[in-house]
Order: sequence, then C-alpha cells, then structure tokens
Amino acid sequence: MYGKKASELVKEFVSCEPGQLTTFNNDLFAQVIEECNGHLLHLQPLMRKIQERENKLKDNMISEDEMAISEDEKRKSEAEKIVIQTAMKSDQFGALIHHLSLVRNKRCLMAYVYNRAEVIRSLGWVVDCVLPEEIEERLSSSEKEYFKNHAATLQTYMSELDLDLTVDMVPPKDPYIKVRVLDDIGEVVLSDQVANLARHAMLFLRRTDAEQYISQGLMEELTG
Amino acid sequence: MEPGAGEGSSTDDYESLISTTDAELLKRAWRNEKAAPEILKFEAALVQRSRQQIQLMEETVEEFTRNGVDPLTVSLYQMDLDRTLFLLRSYLRTRLQKIEKYVLHIQKTAELWNRLSKQEQKFAIRCVGDLTQHLEQSVLTKLPDQYQSHLKQSGASENDDMVPEPKLDTYIICRSKKFLGAFQLDDSGEEPVNIEADDLYALPYKSIKPLVESGQIDLV
Repeated sequence: MYGKKASELVKEFVSCEPGQLTTFNNDLFAQVIEECNGHLLHLQPLMRKIQERENKLKDNMISEDEMAISEDEKRKSEAEKIVIQTAMKSDQFGALIHHLSLVRNKRCLMAYVYNRAEVIRSLGWVVDCVLPEEIEERLSSSEKEYFKNHAATLQTYMSELDLDLTVDMVPPKDPYIKVRVLDDIGEVVLSDQVANLARHAMLFLRRTDAEQYISQGLMEELTG
Repeated sequence: MEPGAGEGSSTDDYESLISTTDAELLKRAWRNEKAAPEILKFEAALVQRSRQQIQLMEETVEEFTRNGVDPLTVSLYQMDLDRTLFLLRSYLRTRLQKIEKYVLHIQKTAELWNRLSKQEQKFAIRCVGDLTQHLEQSVLTKLPDQYQSHLKQSGASENDDMVPEPKLDTYIICRSKKFLGAFQLDDSGEEPVNIEADDLYALPYKSIKPLVESGQIDLV
C-alpha cells in the first residue's frame, strides 16, 4: 500500500522517548525514496496522456468553430468528446493518486528529518562541540554536519554578544555550589581559582564554572 | 493631610518607582517572552543598560573583595549580580530558541523579522542556511524535480505550505495593571470581556496581541 513505509518511518521516530534519537534508519529511508521515484515513473506517462487528450479536445473545439459542419458530424464530434473526457478522467484520477502519495511521502520524510534536526539543535545547547559517542553513531552523516554547523552558528552569536548563553540554565540559588569530581580532569584554571580536579575530590566551585563539567557528566552536584 | 492618606500615596509612588527600575523591566520582558508563543520585540535599550549595570556590579564586587569588605556583603552583591545575569541570559536564550524553532516563518514575515536584533538576524540567516542545506542533502535532492522545494509541498502548491508557524491562539494567563474596561476579544460577536486591574485572565494570545505590544497587559 502506498505510504505505508513512510508512516512506519514516522512512527519509529515517535516511538522513542522525546529528546532521544534512534539510529537513522537508512534502509527504510531509501525504500521510501524508491517508492517516490516509482510514483514519478507512473506519473509522467499519465500526465503526458492527459496533455495529449487535452490538446485533442482543443483541436476538436477549434475545428467545430471554424468549419461549418452538418448536424451528423456535430453529433459525432460530441460523442468523441465524451469518450476523450471519460478516458481523461481515469488518467486524471490516477495521476492525482500518484501525486498525492508522492506529496505524502515527501511530508513524512521531511517530518522525520526535520524533527530529528530539532532534537539535534537542543543537543547543541547542552553539549559544546563534541558529541558523546553513543549519540554520534545514531546520526547520519548529513546530521553530523548539521550539528557542527549549528554549533558554529551559536558560537558566533555568543561571541558577538560576548555572553555565554549555555551556562545558567537553572535560576541560581547560591553563588557557589559543592561538587564531587567523578573523573580525573587534572589542573584547571577557573574564573577565580586554580583547582586540581582529581577523582572523588569535593570542591566549592562557582556555579557557572561547574555547569559545563556537570553537563558533560564529569562532576556531580552535592545537594545534601 | 492625614498620615494614612499620605502613606497610601507614598506606597503608590514606591510601587511606580520600583516598577520602572531596570531589574523590574528586565523581569517583565523575560516573563512576557517566556509566555508568548511568538517572538516579541527586542528590548535593545534595556539589554544595553542591563549589560552596563552588570559590568558596574562586577567591578564593584572586585573592588570590595580587594578591599576586604565583609564577605557577607560581597556575597549579597554577587547574588544580585548572578540573578541579573541569569535573567539576561535566559531572555536571550528564550528568544534564540524561538527563532530556531520558527526560523523559516520569521524570515518570510517582515513584521517578525523587524523584531529581531541585528545579531539575531545574522543568526537567523545562518540558521536558515544550515537547515536548508541539511534538508536538501538528506531528502530533497533525492526527490523528483517538482517536489524539491523546502517551502512548498510540490510545484502545484500556491502557498508555502511546508513552513511551520507558531500557534497564535494558544491560551495564556495574563494580568493587567490598570482597569481597561470592556475589551472585544474577537470578531465572532461574543460579548466583550471586562478587564480589571490585577485580576488574572486566561485568554487566547491572538485577541490580546495589541495590548501586549503596547505594554498594557503582562503575561504571567
């Protein structure tokens, strides 16, 4: 049935949790594109036939007007016209179905790619430039490029304004927070101190400094 | 004059004074932006002033720490600084995310395009470029000729029907500071709504759009 594979693609996107991505389904995608091309192959000859019949009808009408013809001939050309029109109707309906299925497939494909792009954009706010591996292997090559471009666009805007917009995602309660380091990071220069971020160390850091490490999973906040 | 009446007028004055401080204005702009479904006008002057004030505060805090002022005072100033910075960042972030979401629509509509700042416009242009390139690479070049537009469904469509638009008739909660009287919600012939001061109303955004723009109503 036309359009079934496309709706499967969309359902697959919807079935995973919001904000998560499944692996880009290259196979299903290629199948839907093939189906579209199939529609085109059906559509083109149908459109040609419709055009031919339309031309014939036009010629008939012109010849009716120009030549003085007898009643008999007039009736014959009327009958001819009806035959052409009925045949054209079936072609038109066929062409319409192919056109509409093509458009539906296009909508499903665009929805799939567009919504994945939305999830990728939201990633760009959390992660800086480097994607974690598990996410990277689920993206297609075009999506990886899109992520890089989008991250670069964001960076350009932020550097123009001279303001980092990826920190401070939550309203601040305290200027300093207590964190425990989960992975060995080594010596790091922060905005007001030089800290040695060894594993399992507990430190008081400025909120804005700590946020980038917390979002990468290298530190955790101690709220107790 | 009686002291009671005098006090009443002084609290009024205080309130009107408070409501025009930059911090209040920034908070208001931030709240409106968060609640509205479409992007609102960019408060360029307010952002500029807020940044200058933040700069001043940072210098003050540095000076205090250098001079060894009581750390409690320093941390209070620091907190205030952090909060203002958060408001500013969140305001710009919300706007940016709205632009990202509806970038194709914003580019088409002149009214919305004029609400962006210069840097936001540059950002939007690059955003459109990235998105179009990505869509074309993954989907559109593989489709037949008449169907390759990212704005129209096919060559036969009259409007740009593949562009997502913000839903302007979502209901939002709002409050007015002054009594606005009977306000006609829309042309469907429903009765006008009486808008009183300080009462909360849940109305569709489209009907009160002009009031929000003129600043008479605040979104909550």
